[in-house]
Amino acid sequence: MDFAYTESELAFQQELRAWLEENLPEGWLEGKRVVPENEDQKAVFLRDWQRKLAEGGWAGISWPKEYGGRGATLMEEVIYEEEMARVKAPPVLNIIGTAMVGPTILQIGTDYQKERYIPKILNGEEIWCQGYSEPNAGSDLAAIQTRAVKKGDKWVINGQKIWTSYAHLADRCFLLARTENTGKKHEGITAFLVDMHQEGVETRTIRSINDRRDFNEMFFNDAIAYDEDIVGEVNQGWKTSLTLLSHERVGVARQTFRLQKQFEELVELAQLLKKNGRPLAADPLVRQNLAIFRAKTKALLFNYYRHLTNTIRAGRPGPEGSMDKLASSELGQEMLAYAMSLQGAAGTLWKEDAFVDQNWQQEYLRSFAYTIEGGTSEIQKNIVAERILGLPKDIKY
Amino acid sequence: MDFALNEEQLMFQETTRQFLESKGDLTLPRDYMNGNKQVLEDLWNGLGSLGFMGINISETYGGLGLGALSLVPILEEMGRSVVPGPYPETVAFTAPLLEAYGSVEQKQKYLPEIAAGHRKFSLALLEENGELSPADIQLKAEQRGNDYILQGKKLLVPYADIVDTLIVPVRTGGTSQGEYGISLILVDCKQPNISKQELRSMDETRKLFNVEFHDVAVPSTQLLGAENEGWAILDQGLNYVNAAFASTMVGGIERVVEMSTEYAKTRQQFGQPIGRFQAVKHRIVDMKLALESSRSLSYYASWAAENNAEELAEAVSMARSFISEAYIKAAGANIQNHGGMGFTWEFDCHLFLKRARSLGNHLGSPEYHREKVAKELGWSDVVPEMMML
Ligand SMILES: Cc1cc2nc3c(=O)[nH]c(=O)nc-3n(C[C@H](O)[C@H](O)[C@H](O)COP(=O)(O)OP(=O)(O)OC[C@H]3O[C@@H](n4cnc5c(N)ncnc54)[C@H](O)[C@@H]3O)c2cc1C
Repeated sequence: MDFAYTESELAFQQELRAWLEENLPEGWLEGKRVVPENEDQKAVFLRDWQRKLAEGGWAGISWPKEYGGRGATLMEEVIYEEEMARVKAPPVLNIIGTAMVGPTILQIGTDYQKERYIPKILNGEEIWCQGYSEPNAGSDLAAIQTRAVKKGDKWVINGQKIWTSYAHLADRCFLLARTENTGKKHEGITAFLVDMHQEGVETRTIRSINDRRDFNEMFFNDAIAYDEDIVGEVNQGWKTSLTLLSHERVGVARQTFRLQKQFEELVELAQLLKKNGRPLAADPLVRQNLAIFRAKTKALLFNYYRHLTNTIRAGRPGPEGSMDKLASSELGQEMLAYAMSLQGAAGTLWKEDAFVDQNWQQEYLRSFAYTIEGGTSEIQKNIVAERILGLPKDIKY
Repeated sequence: MDFALNEEQLMFQETTRQFLESKGDLTLPRDYMNGNKQVLEDLWNGLGSLGFMGINISETYGGLGLGALSLVPILEEMGRSVVPGPYPETVAFTAPLLEAYGSVEQKQKYLPEIAAGHRKFSLALLEENGELSPADIQLKAEQRGNDYILQGKKLLVPYADIVDTLIVPVRTGGTSQGEYGISLILVDCKQPNISKQELRSMDETRKLFNVEFHDVAVPSTQLLGAENEGWAILDQGLNYVNAAFASTMVGGIERVVEMSTEYAKTRQQFGQPIGRFQAVKHRIVDMKLALESSRSLSYYASWAAENNAEELAEAVSMARSFISEAYIKAAGANIQNHGGMGFTWEFDCHLFLKRARSLGNHLGSPEYHREKVAKELGWSDVVPEMMML
């Protein structure tokens, strides 16, 4: 057992650190870390960051070198996430593109798709979104009803998607649509690469509880796609979507490292805030709670390292990711709720009137999505129960 | 980066499991509870011949010369079978302290016997206060000629009836409160004038005793480490043994997760296995998550012990505080998952609950360990003026 990075991993880490110091937005490392609230400014800000990453060779690091990546190893990807979390780097706008769509196209896409899409994903020229969920198909994703019907050389798409992150900023959508009704839900789905800038596609932002407009409804009214836009086989979209998912290798690492940082900030908060002239961190009860969180955050990190070790030894990931996702999302929520409690009566003040730092209120509200997005906690529990423990499956209809 | 047991350690795990199964698995604690002391002798001899009593004893003294991490798989397996006996005390506490601080005579006298499975140790720590701070150690040892004369009482000493030697922290000097002045003495139990009073504990697999020393004369050569400097040694040993207890508890949690999973697959109600009900299914998942976190923290604690890492105290206290509570909770949930069956003496669920409880506050409650984490990490701990009075 050891936690050491190899020489070359350390060199990689140093290179990234040096680049971040040079390239993070003005004042970022010193703690001035606010993404603009105004939607237009925010879009500009995020696009700028995406472009900078690409120019520095820090977008899509796991991509093969010939396609502009670094051919990063799994460990390098992990270190990348660790460093990004350490400096609380701004979100990556095109994460769907770089982390999932790009690698999927590289793995199973056509030559045309590679040529047409790959360069623009990496340099952020085209932003991608993921059109899966629908009003009547959330956890039960295979129940999607959006239809694509072949007419001549065109696929005509009709239906509605919902909760699509960044669809309002996106240029292309990785879309699941039903192309055949066999009566079996997982069959007859096809994955399309759809142009968002066409008449038949309309997006409407949805305001979320943290007063952001990051996700959307999407309406497809005779939207058009072509055969060349299909990824994988027609009617094999479920399989394609699993391929897509398999490329999200370090999403859990990202969450895990973020929580480590968040814990440190929680302690700082408890040291900063005072009750009767003394820091909360001196209060026995607060210390007990912080120590509980410390153990849980560390446990999460070491769980991840164990799973990572298994992945490296076996050469492929096991099903343990669901446990990590479940535990990290629940813990993140718990810690942010505690951060609110520590701030007392003024804790609900937000935005420019926030008591300490508006990111606490923002992230506290955001944390309610942790246990919903990417598969709810209940669904993750089913996965752990069924795939890891071998417990009986829910009755499904 | 590599954070898992290595091949040799996995082999230890397999061998221990086979050995314990051949010895009757959960009938071991049952037999012991029913008064069969031979169980312990058989176990000790068997583990001795497998080499598992000498894992962390140097080869010169008949051991394998490995570190704390190599104990982990064995300890987990022992926890799975709720094995009775002072294995953590003997192997995880005593052996490394003797290696590090023992005199040559002490090493020669004790280490080969431990490695062979012929000697058991226990810790006689607690006094009236029931706490673990230096001020709580008051038992007097006065120097008289070449002897220390011990006078006083130690409480809740595990397995005092069957161990060969007790490790006893005593006061040999300094003030009555400070760390300085505490010494560790190895008291062989054959010594006259030691009386033991058995206490009834709900965990009948870990018998507890109050031990009284009536002018017990112990040769001064039985001092472990320097006189008056015993606290730091004790503290180090407590970190080692707490890391070990953490691993035994992980084994216990693993077992109750398996029991619940198995039962939920087979027990039918309303025409289906109860594991199909999410209230049951998800409760088992919660147990499983607690298991994995516990295991990760225990690995970290033993990693820190093996490497004498700077973060040893924090790593151990973090593990103990988390795992003690996780075990109690999982053992309780296991009873719930088994319904009425889980409430019977006949069925094994209660063995785990009781072991969880008896270890839960042993050598530091979760609260104690969390406060230790807070101190280790240097979180502001200014004592309020009111409390100083
Ligand atoms: C911030 C955010 C961003 C998102 N971004 C995207 C995106 O970019 N693209 C995209 O396609 N989707 C996105 N989603 C959608 C997300 O994947 C879904 O919200 C999620 O899968 C849950 O579906 P639902 O909202 O329909 O809830 P439902 O499935 O209706 O669930 C409601 C409740 O019922 C529970 N439940 C459902 N089924 C079961 C069951 N079998 N057993 C027990 N309990 C059950 C759920 O756990 C939940 O508590 C996003 C969501 C959020 C919050």
